[in-house]
Amino acid sequence: MNRFVTANPSKCIGCRTCEVACALAHSDGAGVEGLAPDTFKPRIRMVRTADVSTAVMCHHCEDAPCVNACPNNAIVYRQNSVQVEQERCLGCKNCVLACPFGVMDVVTVPAVRQFAGMTMSLGVKAQAHKCDLCVGRDAGPACVSVCPTNALTLMDREAMDETLRRRRERAALEAAEVAA
Amino acid sequence: MEKHMAVCPYCGTGCKLNLLVEGGKVVGAEPLNGVTNEGELCLKGYFGYDFINDTKILTPRLRNPMLRRSRDAAFEAVSWDEAIQYAATKLSAIKAKYGPDSIMTTGSSRGTGNETNYVMQKFTRAVLGTNNVDNCARVCHGPSVAGLQVTLGNGAMSNSIPEIEHTKCVLVFGYNVADSHPVIAKRIIKAKERGAKIIVCDPRKIETARLADLWLPLNNGSNMALVNAFANVLINEGLYDKEYVANHTEGFDEYKAIVDKYTPEYAEAITGLPAEDIREAMRIYAAAPSATILWGMGVTQWGQGVDVVKGLSGLALLTGNLGRPNVGVGPVRGQNNVQGSCDMGVLPTEFPGYQKVTDPEVRAKFAKAWGVESLPDQIGFRLTDVPHLAETGKLKAMYVMGEDPAQTEPDLALVRKGFEAMEFVIVQDIFMTKTAMFADLILPATSWGEHEGVFSAADRSFQRFTKAVDAKGDVKHDWEIISLLATAMGYPMHYDNTKQIWDELRELCPIFYGVTYEKMEGLGAVPWPCRDLDSAGSKYLYEGNVFQRPGGKGLLFATEWRPPRDQLTEEFPLILCTVREVGHYSCRSMTGNCAALQTLADEPGYVTINPKDAKALGIRDQELVWVSSRRGKVISRASVTDRTNKGAVYMTYQWWIGACNELTIHAVDPIAKTPEYKYAAVRVEAIADQVWAENHVQQEYAKLKGGLSNAVARATKKAPAYA
Repeated sequence: MNRFVTANPSKCIGCRTCEVACALAHSDGAGVEGLAPDTFKPRIRMVRTADVSTAVMCHHCEDAPCVNACPNNAIVYRQNSVQVEQERCLGCKNCVLACPFGVMDVVTVPAVRQFAGMTMSLGVKAQAHKCDLCVGRDAGPACVSVCPTNALTLMDREAMDETLRRRRERAALEAAEVAA
Repeated sequence: MEKHMAVCPYCGTGCKLNLLVEGGKVVGAEPLNGVTNEGELCLKGYFGYDFINDTKILTPRLRNPMLRRSRDAAFEAVSWDEAIQYAATKLSAIKAKYGPDSIMTTGSSRGTGNETNYVMQKFTRAVLGTNNVDNCARVCHGPSVAGLQVTLGNGAMSNSIPEIEHTKCVLVFGYNVADSHPVIAKRIIKAKERGAKIIVCDPRKIETARLADLWLPLNNGSNMALVNAFANVLINEGLYDKEYVANHTEGFDEYKAIVDKYTPEYAEAITGLPAEDIREAMRIYAAAPSATILWGMGVTQWGQGVDVVKGLSGLALLTGNLGRPNVGVGPVRGQNNVQGSCDMGVLPTEFPGYQKVTDPEVRAKFAKAWGVESLPDQIGFRLTDVPHLAETGKLKAMYVMGEDPAQTEPDLALVRKGFEAMEFVIVQDIFMTKTAMFADLILPATSWGEHEGVFSAADRSFQRFTKAVDAKGDVKHDWEIISLLATAMGYPMHYDNTKQIWDELRELCPIFYGVTYEKMEGLGAVPWPCRDLDSAGSKYLYEGNVFQRPGGKGLLFATEWRPPRDQLTEEFPLILCTVREVGHYSCRSMTGNCAALQTLADEPGYVTINPKDAKALGIRDQELVWVSSRRGKVISRASVTDRTNKGAVYMTYQWWIGACNELTIHAVDPIAKTPEYKYAAVRVEAIADQVWAENHVQQEYAKLKGGLSNAVARATKKAPAYA
C-alpha cells in the first residue's frame, strides 16, 4: 500500500504550521530566512471554509491519475509512494488537471548549470510539485512532526489496519446497541 | 550545533523549547517536554525565532543608545554614559519641577522577564517616588484581575493548563483559543476526545465553535446579558449546588434579585440567541462533574469587562466548580509574561506579590528593604490614562519599556497627541518601533535569546529561560539599564545577575518565597502560591473552598447589562471588533521580522466581513477597501467569509497600514480602565481603482518602513565611534 498523510478536520485549528514546515523541508537547507511570499509553495495546503478547516495533500493513490496522465513517465511509484522524477517533467500540467484532489501543481524554478566554477542561468525548469512524504528525512514527513494538535497522521499499512480495526469494533458495538 | 533551553516568547502558554544555535546565530527551535506544552509548539513557537538575528524585514534591531536633543532633530548615536546621564538629568529636573507623579513608566510583558519588571517597579517607586507604573495587562486581562480579586480573591487562572484536558465541560467565552494559544487548543481537543462537552460563546464561527457541542453566536456587546441569563437558568431550574452556595459563597440574595429579570426569553432580545440554547448551555455546564470556564479578550476588552468577569466567576461558584482539580475559571493570558508583569507589581495599585500600595505595613516592609524613607501611598496612573494626562499637562515624562503603544492602544491619533505633548519620552526596546519615533532617548536592550530570566505562564507557573546567543552591538540587559539610571539619579543600584534580583524579590513576596532558581532548573515549573522551600507550588487555587477574601467566602455578583459606548448610525453602520491571528503577535515588532510569519501574512492585513454585508457594499473577496470610523480611516483587504457574523467586521491589530487602532474608541471600563476594543462603529467602502489601492498600500508601507530604518541608519552613520 502507498503511504500518505491524512488530516483530521476535527483536530485542525487552521494554523498553517504544516505549510511552513513543508516549505522548509523542501528548501535545500536554506532555513526560515529563505522564505518569501513569492516563492512560498508548500505541498500541503490548509483550506478553510465556513464549516471546515483542514489540510489537504497528495493521497499517493494506488492507481494514481497523475501517473496515468503523465506523457513522459515522470511520475512513478517508489518507496510505497508516488514520486516525481523532476528531470523528466515537461511542465505540461496534465497531472494537475488529472488530480481530483487539487494537490498537484506545476511550478517553475530557476535552472542553473555549473561551468568552470561559474553558475550559469539556464532559464527556468518546470517541476510537478506535490507531497513526496519527505522521503529521505529521518523523522518522516515534516508536517506530521510539527502539527500542534496532532491533526496529521502518516498512514501506512500498519496505521491503516489499526484504523480499520477500530472502526469495525465501533460498528460492532453500535450494531449491538441497535439489537438491544 | 548548540541547544539552549528557553520558554517561548509569544503567548502565555509557557511552552518550553530549545533554541538551536550555529556559529552564534539562532537557526531553529525544537519543542521540549515542558509541563504546559508536552513536546508541542505552534506556528510562532517553531518559526518565530529569527527576529533575534536582525533580519530587518520590518524594522531594524537597535544597536546603540540614540538621542535627539530636540523633537525636530534627527537621532544621533551616543555613548551609554551620555545616554544615562541625559536621562537622569532630565527625569530629575522634571521630578523636581512637577513632582514625581508627573512621570510614568511601563513594565514589559514580553521577552524581558520577571526580574526586569521587578527592577522597573522598584525604580519607579523607590527612585522616582510614584506608583505610576503599569503594563499592557491594562489593555488585556486587567478586568480579569480586578474582577476575580473582588469575587474570589485572586486575579489569576484558578487551575493549571494541563488540567484543561481532564475537565468534563469547557465553557469557552470570548476566547479564540486556536489563534491565541494553539497549544492550549490541543488541550481542549483532547478534553473533547475524553468525552468533555464543549460550549462556545462567540459571535464568530471561530475554530473552537466548529468543534463545539453547542455554539452560542451572541450579538456583539451582549456578554453581561448572557452571563446573567446563565445564572438565571442555574437558579430557576434548580441546577446550582445549594450546599456549596450556602457554605462557600455570599451575596446570593442580591445576586438572585438582579439575575431574576434575565430570563432566557428576556436575554434573547439582547443576545439574539434562542432562549432554549441558553438553557441548554447551562444544563450541560451544571450536569458536568467538573467544568472549566476559559475566557479571553472577548470578555475583557469592553466597557463592562470587570462586571462580566465577576459574572463568570459566579457561574463557577453557583456550581461548585472551584477549589479542586480540573475545574475553575481561566482568564488565559495573551502575552508570554503578562501574568509575570502583574506578579512583579508593574501595576499602579500593587507591589510585587499582589501586596497593596495602600497598605502601610506593606509599604514599610518594601521601604526598609529598598533603603528608602517612605514609598508613595497613592494609587498611580493607568496606561490608558496617558494620552489624556499628557494633554492636560499632568504627565510630563514617560519611560516606555518593551511596548509599542503607538500601535496597540485605542484611538492612535489621541495616543500620538499624548506623546507629542510630553516633555521627555524614553523608549527602551530591542526594535525601532512606531512608539520609538516619538522618543527623545532610545535605549537598546538585549532580546529574548540574548538574556536569561523567569517568565510566568498564564497558569501562574514560573519557568526559567536561558541565553542562547551573545547580543550584537552596544546593548545592555533591561535591568542593567534601569540600574544604571537609578544609580545616576542618586540611588545606587547594582545586580550581578537575574538570580540576585529573583532572590531579593522572593524574600519580599510570601507567595513566591518557595520558588527558587534551583526548583525551576531545566523543565521545572513552579506555580505560585509557593510559600515554602519544600513546596512544589499550587496547581489550583482555593483548596478547601477557602477564598482569599475577608471571611473566606466567594462573592456572587451580578449587575445590569450596559450597551457598548460607540453608536451605530447610517454613516457608521457596522461593528468593528479587533482580534488576533495565529501568525502575528502583539505590535508585530517580533513576528514582522520573522521570515516565515511575514511570508504567511503581510500588510495591509484583512478586514473579515460576512458575504451578505460584502455583497450589499459591492465588495469582493481579497479586494482592498476603506474602513473608517469617527476617529480615522485606513485601507485593508476584504476577506469575505461566512465565519464572520453579519453586521460586524473584524481586523487584527498588528498592521501599520490596516491599523485598526486608528479606528477604535477610547472608551474604558470604569474600574479596570481597559478599552472597548471590541466595539467601534465603522463604515466599509469599496475602492473602484484597485490598481491605485495596491500601489498606495505598497508606497505607504515602504515609507513607514523606510522612516524607521532611516532613523536608525542616520544616527549610527553620524557617530561611527559608537556604531
